[in-house]
Order: sequence, then structure tokens, then C-alpha cells
Amino acid sequence: MAASMNQTLAAGAPASRNIVGSLAGIATIIVIGIIGYYLFPNNLALLTRIIAIALLVLSIDLVTGYCGVATLGHAALFGAGAYAAGIASAHYGASDPLLMTLIGALAGAVAGLISGLIILRAHGLPQLVLSIAVIHLFHEAANKASSWTGGSDGLSGIAPTALLGLFEFDLWGRTAYIYGLALLLIVFVLLQLLVRSPFGMLARGVREDPLRISAMGASVQSVLLRMYVISGVVAGIGGALTAISTQVVGLDSLSFTLSAESLVMLVLGGTGSLYGALVGTVAFMWFEDVVSAANPFHWLTMVGALLIAVVLFAPRGLYGTAAALVQRVKGGRA
Amino acid sequence: MKKLITATIAAVVLSSAAYADTIKVGVIGPFSGPFALQGKNFKAGIDAYFALHGNTVGDDTIEVIYRDVPQPDPAQSKALAQELVVKEGVQYLAGFYFTPDAMAATPILEQGNVPMVVMNAATSAIVTKSPYVVRTSFTTWQTSTPIAKVAKDAGVNKVISIVSDYGPGVDAENAFKTAFEKEGGEVVEAIRMPLSTNDFSPIMQRVKDSGAEAVFAFLPSGPTTLGFVKAFNQNGLKDAGIKLFAPGDLTQESDLPALGDQALGMQTTFHYAVSHDSPENKEFVAAAQKAIGNPAELSFPAVGAFDGMHVIAKMIEATGGEQDAEKAVEAVKGLSWTSPRGPVTIDPESRHIMQNIYLREVTKADDGSYFNKEIQTFEKQGDPGLEAAK
Amino acid sequence: MQTVFSIAVDALAYGMVLFVISIGLSVTMGLMRVVNLAHGAFAMIGGYIASYAARDLGLGYAAAVLLAVAGTVLIAIPIERLLYRRIYGAPELTQVLMTIGITFCIIGIANFVFGPTLKTIPLPDTLRGSADLGFRSIATHRIFAIICGLLVAAALWFLIEKTAFGIKLRAAVDNAAMAAALGVRTEFVYAVSFAVAIGLAALGGVVGAELLPVEPYYALRYMVTFLVVVSVGGAGSIPGALLACLLLGAIDTTGRYLAPEYGEFFFYLAVIIIVILFPRGLAGRFK
Repeated sequence: MAASMNQTLAAGAPASRNIVGSLAGIATIIVIGIIGYYLFPNNLALLTRIIAIALLVLSIDLVTGYCGVATLGHAALFGAGAYAAGIASAHYGASDPLLMTLIGALAGAVAGLISGLIILRAHGLPQLVLSIAVIHLFHEAANKASSWTGGSDGLSGIAPTALLGLFEFDLWGRTAYIYGLALLLIVFVLLQLLVRSPFGMLARGVREDPLRISAMGASVQSVLLRMYVISGVVAGIGGALTAISTQVVGLDSLSFTLSAESLVMLVLGGTGSLYGALVGTVAFMWFEDVVSAANPFHWLTMVGALLIAVVLFAPRGLYGTAAALVQRVKGGRA
Repeated sequence: MKKLITATIAAVVLSSAAYADTIKVGVIGPFSGPFALQGKNFKAGIDAYFALHGNTVGDDTIEVIYRDVPQPDPAQSKALAQELVVKEGVQYLAGFYFTPDAMAATPILEQGNVPMVVMNAATSAIVTKSPYVVRTSFTTWQTSTPIAKVAKDAGVNKVISIVSDYGPGVDAENAFKTAFEKEGGEVVEAIRMPLSTNDFSPIMQRVKDSGAEAVFAFLPSGPTTLGFVKAFNQNGLKDAGIKLFAPGDLTQESDLPALGDQALGMQTTFHYAVSHDSPENKEFVAAAQKAIGNPAELSFPAVGAFDGMHVIAKMIEATGGEQDAEKAVEAVKGLSWTSPRGPVTIDPESRHIMQNIYLREVTKADDGSYFNKEIQTFEKQGDPGLEAAK
Repeated sequence: MQTVFSIAVDALAYGMVLFVISIGLSVTMGLMRVVNLAHGAFAMIGGYIASYAARDLGLGYAAAVLLAVAGTVLIAIPIERLLYRRIYGAPELTQVLMTIGITFCIIGIANFVFGPTLKTIPLPDTLRGSADLGFRSIATHRIFAIICGLLVAAALWFLIEKTAFGIKLRAAVDNAAMAAALGVRTEFVYAVSFAVAIGLAALGGVVGAELLPVEPYYALRYMVTFLVVVSVGGAGSIPGALLACLLLGAIDTTGRYLAPEYGEFFFYLAVIIIVILFPRGLAGRFK
């Protein structure tokens, strides 16, 4: 599994160009965010949901794209964040959105630690199965603890207070969207720094050749586990954002379906690059929204066709293939 | 701040609605995925209503916009509800097959000045979440309570309860237990099994060991009911004289062709049988079967949707097409009419539907098909679940 | 004691049904190294064809089974040529994306063509009803499934381990380039193995339909179960898959008898423990 995903996109580029590139990237996100706000002022709920899922997909990218860990159980981290933030607000009155986000991030980290400890015990296919088992255990635990989580009826009664005491979370979802966008930007910038840090390089090394990394004296297991915890923080923030913006948390946030779907989004965009994760999420969810509104009864076929087409025509994912194309054009000119 | 925004929205929406002749109704339901059949029934019920009563109320034309939430997913449901209200400008939200999806959308109602008509979701508490919620379906408490009396009347004293381990299952278990103990019976064991259970043989072994005279069961309608009923028969429980009682989810009409002989003689209580003998129902069934395409697919969510549209039409009539959720809901409180399922009333207190619950037995028709034959009527049943929660 | 026997019988029957349905996946994943998440979709196609043949065309059960296997393979051939051939040897995540895409398409088409209701495959009289084992009764159909499972296991083991084709297949899998250089037509070998795997999927879909009824969402509903069973056994190993099915069947059945409300916990905790103890599967050929 590990060796097969050699899609290191940014490797080898000079540092200065990297910084320019990442600044340009951040600017792009802001611009797209603003365009989204003005172009779809009535669709902000959907856009906020895309942001929350984008955080989950980024989080999967950290372990799958950068470390080569196969997982179909990553929603456990997302759902843990969502439920923790939701329970804090619904049962303990901790309804400040910033506090809820923090609680979500912490819960995500803890869930990341737990699932990391289990999932990292195997490789390849068995690892995938461990991750499936983990997500089912989380799901069942939340279903059982219905006095806390509301079980299958969902956890309601979450009532976030105004952001910074100023901005209410209203029907139009403006506050939620802007808050989400801000969270996404902060997380994205930090992750950019992270994947270029020595630790990030080490993680890539683990993906390429774990044996060599351990021969160099680094502990593969501890690198992976640390990455899992970080990834938990990111997913937990995404979960908390869902809890804040929709004010209800359901068992679907801890489901295998969500795990699988978000992995699909990541692969669709291209693994091993933060942009790939974003592109994949936006492309998948936007496409799903359009075709399911156009034909609520038979849209699944269209989504399936999209996935097949991507594998056939853009085997490295949408972003990965585009980036490779740009690289080739540039290389041709030089 | 909040008030200001609400007022602005109300003003914006009101002013636009006064000119518009088209009144939009947003329907959220499972139109694809594992529950696509139930969503299809929503649409069939709504189409049947339009076929019989037209899609105009006064000068206004009703337009339905469908949005798909394939599986319980409150976040998705809320986002779509919000989109429907804000972007599409719907005046009514309707549909909602799953409880969490309905619950998630309730906070929007007051802000958006939009009533919600629940066409299926069966957890009692939904109507308490907002004064703008009206329900035209049933609750699990409502359909599971009368079967306790049926069991007792059949001379059964010891029952083992087997339910799927999720909200409605737990509701059914509590409803039956409460009612059966009131009748003087005893629930000797209560088993909750995971929703994903495929093989029910071990559960049947538990039944045998429990010494119960009958089983009370609740499973969501769909594939697992088939396995459950088969396991019940094939493991010799039926032959041993153990009876099986359940609410009608277990024998919904669209599952009957698959269940076939296995289900023959099964007694269930429910609010609607496609076979219900009344002129209103004949008319409805003909229209709905035409709408759904394959007559065998018609099942109970269609009648909830049909009556839901009736309620919405009454709301539009009362408000003259203006967007006024309070007035709309007020107008249907206490509303009585003859539904395809029989006489019904919207309870003015709870805004939940009061209706007859029928005891039915799965019977083979002359043409070899199977149907739920109504054999006993429990008249004017309210929702015991709301009282139990108090 | 009687209860223990009784549960053992249930466990055996359940395990063998699992085996019949998922063994085809073990062939694609273990021998061809394709993470074929569309396995359930092919099983479902088999179920639909059998149901159509038996109910609408009025054919007998045996004919329906044969038609289902042949029909599914026929449908799968163009899919293999056009789509699967592109992902042999591709990264696993790419395979996941492609096969999930195929699954979505098949679900959508099944829903469109056959509608969302359950489809049954009427059994012949000999398989209907229950058989008396002395201390309990068991559905005759379960006995049939057990026999099917054993036959399939034996036939597959023979094919892979004892025939010339099996040798070519194993060679092609271990080192495709070298096998090709030695004159093995790897493309042909792959196509045939794929057809066998799909045929097994269809057979499983039909035989298992009593337990896992055929409906459009079948393809995704049971995907996890198939994946878990195959991986626990060790992809590509026939004895491993058999062992895994019996073991997991026993754990599941016992868990559901002793503590149904915690059945799910029981099952997945057991899966975690087994995978950690045997990270290469109970009898895995490959890592």
C-alpha cells in the first residue's frame, strides 16, 4: 500500500518557491471563499457543510496521503469531535463556539490516539479491516450511550451562543460560514507548515520506506501515532463545526458511510497534497448536490460514473493529474 | 439582533409571497439509497393528492421541490431544509422519513416562518420541538400499544420482546411493555439486537429458552423483516405454537410478496392497510398505484404524504397563500377529515394525528397475492408516547 | 448441552453461507490483488437474474442458478475488459475509487430496472421447510448452503493447487512479467480468474439470498461483512477463508445468543483481536 502511492507533488521544489506557492494557495482559498459567499448567498449551509467535510478529508490526507495508512474509519475522529462539542453544549451549557471548537479538537485528538493505537497494529488490507472495526465500535458505543448522545434520534438541544458575543448563528448561516472559513484557513496554514516541517518530511519518509526510517533511528510507530493525534485535532474541529452550524449531531457522523465517502473524496482530489483534499471535497460535494437536486431518485448512477471517469482519465486524482500536467507543460518550456 | 433578522426575513419573504401565485413546498425524504422505496411512496402519495384534488388552492398553484437525504443524516437534512427555505423560498417543509432529520430541521421553522408537516418520522417527541410541527403519519407508541391488548385477548400471559436496537425499536419495546403490563401480562425478557443483524437463528434460540408464549417484535420495514420471519418459522417456533405479534412495520405491503407464505396469519397493528375498505381508499389506491408505477410498491408512507398534502392545502386555504406559519398551523388544529385510512383528526394539543389503529392479519387473496386484512378496529387512538414522556 | 449443540449448528450454517458469498472476493483480492468493492454488486446481479428467471420465466431452481451464474459472468466480461483491466496493479486506493464507482452505477441501474422492493428466489419443494435433527429443527436450505460451501471450497482448492491453470495463475500473480516471458498468457489467465470470481459471487448471491435478501442496496449493505471475512482469513487462501467464516460465524452467533444487545461489540472486538494476532490473516498467502 505504502509504496504504491508515490505522488509526492511538492517534493524537490526550492523553498522560496514553496512559500510563494503556499501564499498563492491561501489567497486562492480566500478568493474562492468570498466568491462562494457572494455567488451562493442562499447556499451557505451547504458551503459550511463542505468546509466541515473538507477538514475531515484533510485529516485523512495526513494519515493516508502523507503516511500511507489505509483507513475506512476516519469518521470516528470527526464524530468524536462533533459529539463532544454537542454534548458540552447540550448537557453542560458550554455553548461558546470557540470553547466548543476547542472541546471538539481535544476529543478528536483523544479519538485519534485510541484509533491510532488500534489501527497501526497492522498494514495493508488487515489495517483497513481494523479501521472498519474501530468505526463500528465507535458507532455502536454512541448508539448505546443514548442518554448522552440521543442515540439514533440524534443529539439535539445544541445552542451555540453568539460568536465572540457579537455574531449570532442565524438562519442564513452567514456566521457559521465565515467562522468555518476562518477555521479552515487557520488549519490549512498550520498544516502547510506541518507537512514541510522536519516532522512532515519524516512522515513522508515513513510512507516511502518505513524500514529505512527505523534504521535511521526514528520510531515509525511514534511518528504515525503523533500524526494520528494531529489528524484527530483537525477532524475534531471539523466535527465541532458541524455541531455548531447544524445544532444537531447524528450517528451518521460516526458512520462507515461517512468514512468511506470522505476517503473517496480524498482519492478523487489526489492523495498526498493538501490541495488535492480540498479539490476532491469541493468537487464531490458540489457534484452530488447538483445531480441529487436535478434528479433525487437516480443521481447515484451519475456519481458512480464520475468516479469511474476520474480513474480512467485522471488516475492521480483531479488535483494530482492537473498538477502533473502543469509540471509537464512547464518542464517542456524550460 | 436575532429578532431583527427574523423580522427582515419575514418581511422579505412576505412581500415576495404576496405577489407569487406559486406556493412552494419542500419535501425532504430518502429518494435514493436503502430506503428509496419509502421516498418513492412519499412522492406517490403527493402525486395521488394532486391527481385527485388538483394542485391549485384558490388562485395559488402548489409546486413541490424534492430533496434527497438517503439515510438518517441530520446535518444534511438541516442544510437542505435551510436551502429550501432561504434559496428556493418554500412556504412549507414536509416529508421527513427519519426522526433525526425532522428534529434537525425544527429550529429553522420559527426563524423562517415555515410550518413543517411530518409525513412519516415516528418518534413522539418531534411535535414538542416546535409549535410549527404537524404530523400526519403515526408514532411507534401509537401503533405498538393496541397489540398488547390483542395478545392478552388471545390468552397470552408471558411475552418476550425483541426489537432492533435504535430509537423506534426502544419506543416499541416500552410501548408494548407499558400496555401489556397494564393488561396484566408479563414481559419475561426484552432483547435488543443490532440493526445490522442478518441471522436471527440465535435469537430464536433465546426465544425457545425463555419459555414465553408469544414474541413481540419490532424491526424497521425492509430486508431484515424477511430474515426475521423466516427464522421464526424455520426454527420451529411457529410449529411450537408460539405466537408473533408486531406493529405493521413488519408486514408492510411492499414486503408481502417477498414474505409470502411465511407471513401468512401474522397479526399486526397499524394505522393503514392498502386493503382498507372505503371509497376514499379505493380512490386513493388507484391514483397512488398509478403514480408509483408498480402497484406492489405501494406502502404506508404514501398515505402519510397524501394526508400531509391535504393538511398543507388546508393551510394554504386558511392563509390565502400568504406566508404565515402561525395562522397556518392554527387553522389545522382540530381539523377532521376522512382519510384513506379512516376518520382522522389533528389533535389541537399535540398537533399529532388521532386515528384508528387496526388489527390486521396477513391473508392470501383469491388471485394469489397477499394482503393485510383488517379484523379489528381500535378507534380514535391518540399518541400514548407523549403522555409516557411526561 | 442441547443449547450448545444448537448454537454450534447455527454457527456452522451461518459461517458456510458467509463463505459461499465471500469466497469469490478472496479470489479477486488475494490472487488478482484487486480490492473489488463491487463484489456485492455482482452477487446482487446474480440474485436478480435468478429471481427473474424463477419468478417471471418460471424456470426451476437449478436452471435459475445456472442462468444467474452464466448471466452475471456475461455482464461482467465487458466490465472487465473496459474497466477492471485498467486497474490491475494500480494503487489500492485507485481500485477502491473505481470499484465503488462501479457499485454506485450498478445500484442505480438495479433500482431503475427492478425497483426498490425485495426480490425473492422461490425455492424448490425439496429445499423448503425444515429438517429435524433430533434435538432441533433447521431450515433445509441451510443444509443445502453448507453442502454448496463445501463443494465450492473443494473445487476451488483443486483448481488452484492441482491444475495447470492454477499453476499459471499463481505464477502470473507472483511475477506477471516473468510468467509472461515463460509463455503464460497472463491476460487470459486474469480474465478467466475474474470470470470464476464473478461466477462465485453470483452463486453466493443466489444461495445466500435466503439470509441476505436481494434489493438494490445489497451491493453496499454487506460490503463490510465480505471485506472483513476475506481479510481475516487472509486474502487468496481458500482454507483461510473457510476457517475465518466458521470462526466469525461462531463468534457472531454466540454473541447474538448470549448478549444480543452487545452483538456488534462482540463481533468487532473479536475482529480486532484476530487481526492483531494474525496480521497476515489466518492463513494468508500474501502480506
